[in-house]
Amino acid sequence: MVSIARKNLFHDKIRFIITLIGVTFSVVLIFAQVGIYLGFMQNASIVIDNTDVDIWITSKNTPNFDWAQAFPETKINLARETKGVLHAEKFILAWGVMKRKEGGTEQVEIIGYNPNSGIGGPWNMKEGRASDVKGGKHIIMDESAEKKMGEFHIGDEREVMNQKVKVIGITKGIKSFTTAPFIFTSYDTAKGLASYIGQDSTVFILVKTDPAENIHEIVQRLNERLKGVDVYTSRQFSNRTRWYWTVETGMGMGFLMTAFMGFAIGIVIVGQTIYTSTIEHLREYGTLKAIGANNLFIYKIIFEQAIVNAVIGYIVGFVITQFLIKGYEKTGLAMIIPNYLIVSVFFLTLLMCISASFISIRKATKIDPAIVFKV
Amino acid sequence: MEENNIEVKRLKKIYHEASVEVIAVDDVSFNVKSGEVVAVMGPSGSGKTTLLSIMGCILRPTSGEVIIKGIKTHEMDEHSLPEIRNRYIGFIFQAFNLFPALTALENVEVSLNLKGIKGKRAKEEAKQLLERVGLGDRVDFLPMDLSGGQKQRVSIARALANRPSIILADEPTGNLDSKTGHSVIELLRDLSVKEKSSVIIVTHDNRIMDMSDRVLYLEDGRLKNGANSKKR
Repeated sequence: MVSIARKNLFHDKIRFIITLIGVTFSVVLIFAQVGIYLGFMQNASIVIDNTDVDIWITSKNTPNFDWAQAFPETKINLARETKGVLHAEKFILAWGVMKRKEGGTEQVEIIGYNPNSGIGGPWNMKEGRASDVKGGKHIIMDESAEKKMGEFHIGDEREVMNQKVKVIGITKGIKSFTTAPFIFTSYDTAKGLASYIGQDSTVFILVKTDPAENIHEIVQRLNERLKGVDVYTSRQFSNRTRWYWTVETGMGMGFLMTAFMGFAIGIVIVGQTIYTSTIEHLREYGTLKAIGANNLFIYKIIFEQAIVNAVIGYIVGFVITQFLIKGYEKTGLAMIIPNYLIVSVFFLTLLMCISASFISIRKATKIDPAIVFKV
Repeated sequence: MEENNIEVKRLKKIYHEASVEVIAVDDVSFNVKSGEVVAVMGPSGSGKTTLLSIMGCILRPTSGEVIIKGIKTHEMDEHSLPEIRNRYIGFIFQAFNLFPALTALENVEVSLNLKGIKGKRAKEEAKQLLERVGLGDRVDFLPMDLSGGQKQRVSIARALANRPSIILADEPTGNLDSKTGHSVIELLRDLSVKEKSSVIIVTHDNRIMDMSDRVLYLEDGRLKNGANSKKR
C-alpha cells in the first residue's frame, strides 16, 4: 500500500529535517534534564540507599542526609532495648576540610562507621577493604575525589582537620550531592577528626530490624522511647532527602520546568510544521476525499506523519543523549537514564507529536469540498 | 435500452453568504445513460462546478434528488458518501490534483488502495491503466517530470481505477494546449464507449461540445433549453 504520509514527509526534505530537529531537541532536553536530576538525586541519597539498614534515627527536623545535627549517643541503648531491633550502630557524618596535594583546602564529608560490623561503610571498593580503617587514622576515598584533591594512591598521607590520615582504600562511584568528597573512616577516627561533634554525641543511629516484625510498628516504638529525635525507615529518609533537594530548594522544579519546556517546544515545532504541511496538502486531502477516502484515511496520514517524526526524532535524540552522557560523566557528574525513562520519553515523544497534529486533523477534515475544483 | 447511470431531479443548491441567499443550482433535472458523453457548458458562475460537486456526492443539495445506479444518494448520511464516490465515480480535475510526492504509478495505486486492492495486484492494475492511457513508459515519473497532457492522462488513469459508472470531469482540457486537449477528449470519448461509463464534462471548450452526445447549457443555475440542449 502506498504510504502518502511517508512519501510526503521524505518529499519535502527541508521541512522534514526542521521537524526532526525540533523533536530531537525536545527529546535531548527532556533526557538531559531528567537524567541530570536523577543523577543528582542518586547522589543525594547514595549513602542511605547503599547502607544495609532498615531504620535511620536522626536529630529532630533533620532535613537531609548532609545537614544532620548531632544528638546524645546514649540514645543507642534505648534503641537496642526496643522490641524488634536486632542491631543498632552509631554513625557519623561531619563536615571537615582536607588539604589539597597542590596546596589549599577543600571541604569534605567525613563518614564514621563501625568497621567491625561494616554497617554504613563504603561499597564498590576498587582497592583495599572497608575493614582496613581499623587500627589508625585510616581513610577510604572515592576515585572521583582526585579532581578536587589531586592524585592519590593507597598508602598516601593527607591532612584532614590538621590531622594526618593515611589512604588505605579507594572506592568507585561514591559521590556526594554537595560535590564535597566523602571520606570514610572508623567511627572513632571520625569523632577525633570532627571533634566539634562532641564526645558523647552521634549524628545517626542505624538500626537493623527483625524481619518478622512490622517495620512501621518498630518506628513507632522508637519514636515513643527516644525523645528529641526523628525515626525514619531507610526509604522514608531517602525520600525525605530527595524531597528536600527537589522541592524545598526549588531545584527539582527548575529541572521539571525545563523538561516541560522541552516538551512544549516540541509540540509547537511539530505542530507548526505538520500544520503548515497540512495546509499545503489541503488540496491533496480534498482530492483523496473526492476519490473515496473517508476521514479515517486522512487521520491515518496525518498521524502516520506525526509517528514517523516522533520515532526518527526520538532515535536521533536518544543517540545524541548517549554522547551527552559520556561527555557529562567526564565532568565528574552523573546523568542517569534508567530503562523506565527510555520507555517513558518514547511514549512522551509519541504523545507530543500526536497531540501536535490534532489541529491539523481538524483542518483537514473541515476541507471545503470545492477546493478540488479550484485551479 | 441503455440504463441511466445518474438521474438528477429538481436539484437545488442555495448558499447563504452573509444575509444574502445565492441560488447556485436551480431546479435542474436530467439523466445520463451509460456510454453517454454529456458536456455541461455555461458562463463562469453559472453553477456548473456546484452541479458537478453535487453529482459527485461531495456537496449536499439543498433539495432535489441525485440517484446513482438506482441509489438515492441525497438520502444517505455524510459518512456513507465516500463509499459511493469510491464505487461509482471517477473524478478528473482541471488542475490534475495529482499527489506531487508520488510517482504516476503510485498516484493510480492510491486510488486502487482505497478500493481495497493492495500490494502487487494494485501495482499491476495501476500499470495496466497507465499503459491504457499511453503512459506505460512513464510509470516511475513524478508529476513534476510530466507534461500537462501526461499529468491529465495520469488523472484519467486514476479516475478509471474503480471502473466507474460515472466520470465527472471539470475542465479537463483547461490547462492543456490544443493538440493535447484534443487527444484527452478523444481518450475520454473512447473510454465512455469501451467502459460504458457516463462521462459528464464541465467545460468552456467548444471542441468538447462537438464530441459530446449532448450539451447542457447552464445559466444562473438553471438549465437553458431543458435537458436535451443538443444531440450529437
